[in-house]
Amino acid sequence: MSNGPEKQDWRTRLVSWVDGDREPKDQSLFVMEQRHRRRFLPTEEEHERREKTRLHRFFNWYPVAAVFIALTLVTVLLGTVLQMPLFGQESNPINNEVAEHYLEHGEEDTGSSNAVTAMILSYRGFDTLGESCVLFLAVTSVMMLLLKDGEDEDGKLARRSAREADQEEHGDIILKRTAWVLTPFIFLFAIYVLLNGETSPGGGFSGGTILGAGLILFSSAFGQRNVRVIMDRKTYSFIRTFGLMLYALLYGAYIFFGANGLPNYLAGMALLIDLAVGLVVACTIYGFYALFSTGEI
Amino acid sequence: MLETILQDRFAVTAVILFGIGFMNLMLQQDLLKKVVGFNIMDSAVFLLLASLGYIEGHTAPIVEEGAVNASLYINPIPSGLVLTGIVVSVSITAFSLALIQRIYRRYGTIQLRELLEKAKKEED
Repeated sequence: MSNGPEKQDWRTRLVSWVDGDREPKDQSLFVMEQRHRRRFLPTEEEHERREKTRLHRFFNWYPVAAVFIALTLVTVLLGTVLQMPLFGQESNPINNEVAEHYLEHGEEDTGSSNAVTAMILSYRGFDTLGESCVLFLAVTSVMMLLLKDGEDEDGKLARRSAREADQEEHGDIILKRTAWVLTPFIFLFAIYVLLNGETSPGGGFSGGTILGAGLILFSSAFGQRNVRVIMDRKTYSFIRTFGLMLYALLYGAYIFFGANGLPNYLAGMALLIDLAVGLVVACTIYGFYALFSTGEI
Repeated sequence: MLETILQDRFAVTAVILFGIGFMNLMLQQDLLKKVVGFNIMDSAVFLLLASLGYIEGHTAPIVEEGAVNASLYINPIPSGLVLTGIVVSVSITAFSLALIQRIYRRYGTIQLRELLEKAKKEED
């Protein structure tokens, strides 16, 4: 081997380089980049100028890169989508025995003829429990971010609420009249959707959303103070937590009693579960509105 | 090719919507508009998922008395899955809007460029 000693040499040099020898014997091999030591520290404005050009360069190249990435993504997705099973065919792999079971045994298993409701409240109730928890946590985190407390911009708070009261006093007459007529019907419809989730389109989520929308209409027309008469922050928190707990308890009991094919005296359980979900959803929707509009509930 | 596109029209629309939302998310300077773009992306995913369950000529999965036959109704599973997606999307939207409101209170702007410059200046 003619390159034996050479290799040895190479190795010792590498070792010494790793050990911290700044000047390897053969500079052309290991010095990746030769740079003069910086003789001066950049001044303040020089530094600022450099940062600015860096930022500018980033913002100049960013759109190009973004468009490129987006186009690539869309192309890949289009290619994927065109390979998928055709739309609306009965023989698609998604229409398998699971869906068949839900449709054919849903009514006797859960007592609800709406297969979607049967699915989300009975077969996959834990999934819905998770969803309720997500909504609950979302309201909680928004509360943490937006809720006004005493030390928050002290003087501002009082002034703003005074101005608000003024605005509420002379609210929009069209809005007020419309809300006066519509709110009861919206609540009625919400209750109808909530209670009929098992036999018609609807259920906890849609009913709860309608309920929340009714609350939002009411509070935007007559001011949040009037909502707070029936539901202050304590009541609100109580209802929110109560809905979630009720759901967890009922669904736990539902599983405990054997889930499918409940005895007759427990047939109303699915309805109660539906109501619990509705409560959580309604509180979430209204809570978001209240927190974002005034920062209070 | 064209036939496939026509047949898979919902999926293709979903992909285009997704692209629009993604561009919006990347290119808008306004944080609020970024959130809007994010929501458009969400809608695209929901459209795709919901369209998967459809079967031509079948009706909504509300089982009627005396017609308990799976070949009459569409597939209920994707509808249930979309529900989960919608819930998560609503929660994430609310949370990011709350964060944006905090950012506005802190920095007085929600334009990304100004925000970056201000944050950098404060850092130094």
